[in-house]
Amino acid sequence: MDIWEKLNTIDRRWIYLLMFLSILFPTIFVMKFPIELTPEAEQLYNAVEELPDSSVVMLTFDYYASALAETEPMSIAALRHMWRKDMKIITLSNIPLGGPTIAERVTREIAKEFDKVYGVDFVNLGYKANYVAVMHGLASSIESIFPTDYTGTPLSELPLMEHVKSYDDMKFIYCVADNATVDYWISIVNAQYDIPVGSGVTAVMAPKMYSFLEAGQLTGLLGGMKGAAEYEKMVGALGTATIGMDAQSMAHLLIIFLVIVGNVGFFMNRRKAKDAKE
Amino acid sequence: MRKDIDIFSIVKKLQAIRTLPVILLTITMSLILNSQAFAQDFGDSVFILPRMTVLILLLVFSSAVLLYTKWAKAGKKLFIRKIAGVDAVEDAVGRATEMGKPVLFIPGIADVEDIETIAGIAILGRVARVTAQYETPLLVPVRYPMVLAASQEVVEGAYAEMGKADSYDKDTVRYVAGEQFAFTATVNGMMMRERPAANIYMGGFFAESLLLAETGNAAGAIQIAGTARPEQLPFFVAACDFTLMGEELYAASSYLSKEPLLLGGLKGQDFVKVLIIIAILIGTLLVTFDIGDWYTNLFDVP
Amino acid sequence: MRTTIPIIVAFLAGTLLIVSFFFHPETIWIGDAKEVILQWMTIVGGFALVLGVVSIVRVNARAVQRKSEGWFYKLMTVISVFAMAIPAMMPVTKESVGGSIFYSIFPDSWMGYLGTGSNSFYDWLFNYVDAPMMETMFAMLAFYIASAAYRAFRARNAEATLLLFTATLVMLWRVPMGEAFLRLFSDNLPGYINTYVMGGFNVAVQRGIIIGAALGAASMSLRIILGIERTYMGK
Repeated sequence: MDIWEKLNTIDRRWIYLLMFLSILFPTIFVMKFPIELTPEAEQLYNAVEELPDSSVVMLTFDYYASALAETEPMSIAALRHMWRKDMKIITLSNIPLGGPTIAERVTREIAKEFDKVYGVDFVNLGYKANYVAVMHGLASSIESIFPTDYTGTPLSELPLMEHVKSYDDMKFIYCVADNATVDYWISIVNAQYDIPVGSGVTAVMAPKMYSFLEAGQLTGLLGGMKGAAEYEKMVGALGTATIGMDAQSMAHLLIIFLVIVGNVGFFMNRRKAKDAKE
Repeated sequence: MRKDIDIFSIVKKLQAIRTLPVILLTITMSLILNSQAFAQDFGDSVFILPRMTVLILLLVFSSAVLLYTKWAKAGKKLFIRKIAGVDAVEDAVGRATEMGKPVLFIPGIADVEDIETIAGIAILGRVARVTAQYETPLLVPVRYPMVLAASQEVVEGAYAEMGKADSYDKDTVRYVAGEQFAFTATVNGMMMRERPAANIYMGGFFAESLLLAETGNAAGAIQIAGTARPEQLPFFVAACDFTLMGEELYAASSYLSKEPLLLGGLKGQDFVKVLIIIAILIGTLLVTFDIGDWYTNLFDVP
Repeated sequence: MRTTIPIIVAFLAGTLLIVSFFFHPETIWIGDAKEVILQWMTIVGGFALVLGVVSIVRVNARAVQRKSEGWFYKLMTVISVFAMAIPAMMPVTKESVGGSIFYSIFPDSWMGYLGTGSNSFYDWLFNYVDAPMMETMFAMLAFYIASAAYRAFRARNAEATLLLFTATLVMLWRVPMGEAFLRLFSDNLPGYINTYVMGGFNVAVQRGIIIGAALGAASMSLRIILGIERTYMGK
């Protein structure tokens, strides 16, 4: 068996090892290539920036713990951006496992940086099953869907919720998601209740979101860790997404390298087979 | 042989009991008339008028599907293009039978309210008929209890219909885990331990699509996938032997059944697609010449 | 009857959901019917969870009983199901449902560890066991993508070559190192990829699939509502 045949039948564990090394290398030797901004990320940043100070916004944590590396930096950067403008933030999650817990941890952590008080500057509504019903229900009354917040405190006892009763009292929905709930925020909440929706999604989901973006149904988009790194850059608070960019760069380059090697092997084998036939 | 029961035949039967529709109609009308809305202005306060465009489109769509179904019922020949992935299902089950290995079927990982899951379960019914016929072991891991109940019903029904009720094992369909990656890990383990000869993925899939398909590929199974989620299609295309894309998933159960009644629905759908393409082309032309505002407003539904 | 009644139920539920879309929920009951049906669905789903627990326990308990291969892991699965569920379902305070009886038996110091709040047992298991495991599984995608791309991405014909070339451009564009490389050719190249590949070809394909799938879903729904498609009922 010559080298080209071996290339075609290579044990996939060698590829796994190469991938492991390509991710490990940049975490030890930092390279820091400049992060360029995409128009869709700038659009999302500008949409939040243009809102009046102290506006009420909703930030969703529609993601499982599995996608934390891509989505949590988006939530953190968004919180920093919003609180720099002294906005009032309502968080919720349509994901039972992870979302509400992550929202609780992340918001309280970032709140300390800005001296924000729970109940006055932010409220975590937690999770309620059946996201379609939740999204429709919030349009008429938040309290009917969430009588209490995540910790069990009645909404009537939270000062922020005295003025926030439905979508009508909010200026923007910033949806960070790793699943299809974002489609419903767009097709139900944006389309039927006319409130602007911006979103940060995993890299795999981003191509689909471009159709909503082009149609004007989505106000700005962050795609995967790169999108999160862009937002971190615009907010001016570099975080884990920016650090992760080197590893992601190396991983992409490795895949391109593997594709090239695989194709060279494919063509050499094809030529050999053709020669043997002749 | 399938008994020809649908809502029309049921209504026909009900017409014999003349009082029942009258009672139903009376109750419905009295509820509507007793509502506050009728005491106020009828019209905009009751109907969401801007949504009427949807109603018109819905009526056109329904009429097309019903018309083609009627023609199919009347015996008109309808051409349906070949779907390679669906044709491969029977071959895959046959291969598993020859090898004496099980067939793994996953009806997606979405809940039962997702139409993709229903499509997956419908295909499961067809696959279960074939596995029952050849007495090939079938494994159906599911992520949601409602999907468990529905899938169990379907598989049990398929075995009974093939006269193999005794071969049906209650644990053919099993609830594995509610958490996405716990489900994936369990199914991957199942693939490596039990080495199914055919893996069929039909329904809504998310980030686990490639994890499942790559493991199945490593285990040497023939793989057929189908999903309506565009973001997961590249992964299935890369790792599976056949992939049903988007609407092919919904067409698969009708296609497998080869019943004219179900195939009629597919033709109706195609007819509406042609109408949509025409509507898009008209819209593109009008907007290009800057005279399309009225036209786009027609489709701006709140 | 086993076929007729489910078809009638499916017809009524489906029609009601469609009709309710066209009515104001504030002024007429039919407009609100959708909400009510969705709530029923949640309740039914809650009961169905019992079926899931029974299934998972039965399948795994049988393997443990027979001491079949890997029985220890199956035992761990059953223990894990209850270890996550039971403390999360227990009353958090004396005012919670059943709280007064529960805390007359068990010490008050347990309060902080029950339920799903911060520092509860559930929260601890989630943050330190479940979340890292989920992240690990998701991270494995990087390895699987590399091996799938190596094996499947072949320039077999003109279309596959075009796909290969476009995918390489997008992969380069999505990371800073690749973007810096693309800028060596032209400063506008990343912008062109975004505009023409992502905003153009990608959107066209995505819309095509989405419209097709939506029509397929609608057609399937109609077939189910009218009782033409009954395979999902096992008929």
